[in-house]
Amino acid sequence: MKRDDWRRREVLRLFAASGAIAALSPRDQEAAAALSGQSANAADDSLTWKKAPCRYCGSGCGVEVGVGDGRVQAVRGDAKSPVNKGLLCVKGYHLPGLLYGADRLTKPMRRGANGELAPIDWDEALDLVAEKYASSLERHGPDSVGMYGSGQWTVHDGYAALKWVKAGMKSNNLEANARVCMASAVMGFMTQFQSDEPMGCYDDFEAGDDFILWGNNMAEMHPVLFSRILEHKRTDPNVRIVDVATRRTPTSQYADLYIEFRPGTDLALANGVLNLLLRNDKIDHAFVKENVVFKRGIENLEEIGYGCYGENAERYGFKDETRESSFDDFRALVAEYTPARVSEISGVPAAQVEALAEIYGARDRGTVSLWCMGVNQHVRGTWMNNLLNDIHLLTGKISRPGANPLSLTGQPSACGTVREVGTLANRLPSDMLVTKPEHREKAEKIWKLAPGTLPAKPGYHTLDLFRALVRGDVKTLWIQTTNPWVSLPNLSRDVLPEDPERFIVVSDIYPTPTTAQADLVLPSAAWVEREGVFGNTERRTQHWEKMVEPPGDAREDAWQIVEVAKRMGMGDLFPWPGDDWHEPMYEEYRSFTLGTGKDLASYAQLKETRGLRWPVIDGKETLYRYAAGYDPYVTKREGVQFYKAKGYGERAAVWRRPYQPPAESPDDEYPLWLTTGRVLEHWHTGSMTRRTTQLHQAVPAAYVELNPTDARSLGVQDGETVRVTSRRGTVELPAVTQGRAQPPRGTVFVPFFDESRLANLLTLDAMDNISKEPDYKKCAVRVERA
Amino acid sequence: MRSPLAEIRHLRRALAPTLLLFLAAGCTPSDVGEREAVPGRDDAQKSVPVVRAARRAYDGAPPTIPHQAFGADCPTCHTRVGVAVEGVGFAPPSPHDDTLGLEGTRRCRQCHVPVTTNEVFVESTFVGRPQTLDGGARMHRFAPPVMPHSAFMRENCLACHDGPAAREGIRTSHPERAACRQCHVERVATTLWPPAG
Repeated sequence: MKRDDWRRREVLRLFAASGAIAALSPRDQEAAAALSGQSANAADDSLTWKKAPCRYCGSGCGVEVGVGDGRVQAVRGDAKSPVNKGLLCVKGYHLPGLLYGADRLTKPMRRGANGELAPIDWDEALDLVAEKYASSLERHGPDSVGMYGSGQWTVHDGYAALKWVKAGMKSNNLEANARVCMASAVMGFMTQFQSDEPMGCYDDFEAGDDFILWGNNMAEMHPVLFSRILEHKRTDPNVRIVDVATRRTPTSQYADLYIEFRPGTDLALANGVLNLLLRNDKIDHAFVKENVVFKRGIENLEEIGYGCYGENAERYGFKDETRESSFDDFRALVAEYTPARVSEISGVPAAQVEALAEIYGARDRGTVSLWCMGVNQHVRGTWMNNLLNDIHLLTGKISRPGANPLSLTGQPSACGTVREVGTLANRLPSDMLVTKPEHREKAEKIWKLAPGTLPAKPGYHTLDLFRALVRGDVKTLWIQTTNPWVSLPNLSRDVLPEDPERFIVVSDIYPTPTTAQADLVLPSAAWVEREGVFGNTERRTQHWEKMVEPPGDAREDAWQIVEVAKRMGMGDLFPWPGDDWHEPMYEEYRSFTLGTGKDLASYAQLKETRGLRWPVIDGKETLYRYAAGYDPYVTKREGVQFYKAKGYGERAAVWRRPYQPPAESPDDEYPLWLTTGRVLEHWHTGSMTRRTTQLHQAVPAAYVELNPTDARSLGVQDGETVRVTSRRGTVELPAVTQGRAQPPRGTVFVPFFDESRLANLLTLDAMDNISKEPDYKKCAVRVERA
Repeated sequence: MRSPLAEIRHLRRALAPTLLLFLAAGCTPSDVGEREAVPGRDDAQKSVPVVRAARRAYDGAPPTIPHQAFGADCPTCHTRVGVAVEGVGFAPPSPHDDTLGLEGTRRCRQCHVPVTTNEVFVESTFVGRPQTLDGGARMHRFAPPVMPHSAFMRENCLACHDGPAAREGIRTSHPERAACRQCHVERVATTLWPPAG
């Protein structure tokens, strides 16, 4: 808003407040009444209220959306949602703001020869997309096309994309931003349980005794879930919270024990805990004997490296191997991590290592580990996931109420869409892989394709996909519901050279730095402007119906994909006539899940409920996977049965994983650690929350958080602009030394939501060797007065 | 660029003629913009609908924080009955009681955020549900009115219906009868999805 407009609004507000409305012109009288909320038709009941999951994080809070006059006018926490029980966070309460930014995209727009975007109609736009894909396929083959989607895609969007890219274009170049967010958690679950997603659920927040947060600022990132833990702690003083972190955050204020480790050394700390659990015999031997096998992978640092950066930039080909191991082999590795050595590596006092091991080892207490980006966006993220799951497996604190490892998700359908539908370069629905012939065969059967249709070679993972785009190997790329030119690490690598053949399509709801890269921009319908299904962290699948019309010509992402597929002669893949395709499309997808242990609820049931946690058998949800008495797939009468891990004899695998240092550490030239992340008020790249007045006005710009002692030695005052520089870029930011969080000496923090102060110009594109997820949490920078 | 505070001061100067109107209407400018001042108990301002609306995205949204940070936890001042702070003013009570609130979790900033700038990133066309000033319905002239709003997160009735800040018209005549909900029942919204039951 221009300053003058704002001033005029304030003037009108003041007039309204003074009761001097009569002095205004009739038009201004109306405006003043609207601003002051004094209009007459104000009754509560004038709105119709319908349920929807929140559009923001992966908690999956239920909201009731109040619609009147064809617009969303209010939301309230859904008291009937078992997730949030009526409570929301400030983003949730301000959800309607995401729909009403004045610069909503309302028409398809093509970039002309002059570099400007100009409106075209849908037919022209869809024909153009179809033509570009067809021409790339014809001239360069299936490796030259791709699609990059999102954990904010609905299940329908993701399923339409999967079928079009994999079955239609016979390419596996389908990725989603969950790769840079959740892939390490996926690989943790896959390598140990041979099935993705947690065994526990949110009921653990009331059932558990000790909550161990690993690199996880839950008070800001999953505030409503954290409130559930805090409420439990209020009613039961025996509840303890342990914050294992690299900086003091609002979460730390509520912790009974705050453990601060040097970036990347959580691997050593977790191994130290395992060592003490073994040494003090806190192992549940009966559980281990019955339910666990031991594995190891490649541990040679030289061989593994840090992914596709530096000299490996275009040819990183590491593949881990599953090798036999044993309890003794496992013990031999963790024995190296004595409290003294862990303390030396991590900076954590030996007494705290022992305290943490004691908490995990207490047999009579339920222990829940919680983690999110700190563990996942880690050059050894899969290893760190493995070690946390190891702790729970060896103590038998798994698959029972109040004792579970629970990885939290950051996007509303990272689980429901990306992980379950399988919109990744190597996956098919319901834990299936493109590399397995029997999995391709099942998909071909359900999709009524000729045998051998589906390609077996995995496509590019996300970082490789964008490198291939820069190289010119990928010619046509469609990006939906995500903003990679803000969110990818080391952004200066993604500068696109001239290539007349390259064609980038971006579907979004607002102009972003990503639409600025597009040759064609398509306007999308958002959230309750369309019907949809999301799946949250705790395996809960939730449905909402369309409540308002999208602005202008905006249409939902799934519709856009289906229309392009039809124009490419692939209409048979989407045989549902008319506008009523949501239910049959979902039911076809659901048929992948039935009988697999990941059985989804029927569409009819989703409409009636506040979501259900899979597997849903005979209409009943499952709280604890693999647990007798809870999971109907378990045939044992008691205990647990890891029935998805057929390859391990229905047992879970404990992996030995050593500590290895981060890819880049501070040195004389770049003496500080940089870690990046979110703040409570903003979500991801801020394209929605910054357009929500209250959220933007609370935190209008990114900043760099400095330890006050570091600031003093740099001569930097609070609020002063400083220059933050890494080997990859420079960003100017206001310094904050007395903010809501405080990094220790030697570490700085920058949130990544601000497109005009890009944290990702600084970050390093090193990544986890197994999950291919980049590490946004650790690189070296220097800070100077600007 | 001016600081938000300077901006407000500038606005006040620009509005000098309007100030007379304020005084005539019994309002002071602190009702509408001055973010550093909180009225004291002696001259405590009654809640004014227009100010209430200005601090909310829509009726039912958590209000923004209308003052600067004082370096104390919110519940230090926003107690169950409100506190007059020497040299600062009257801090009204919190309406949250039984749920996640005062004595429990103190996660006020999870829902209430400050206004650190008057700039916007992009103008919003959002128009929030307006507040209703209607009172609760009565069965007959002598019947206690039903509550015209949900009691969820508003368990401490006296926060808004009593004390120096309570608005005329919704101020109770009998704050000493602490069990409000003995006589005033919550109207169950009929539009809840799906129907209750």
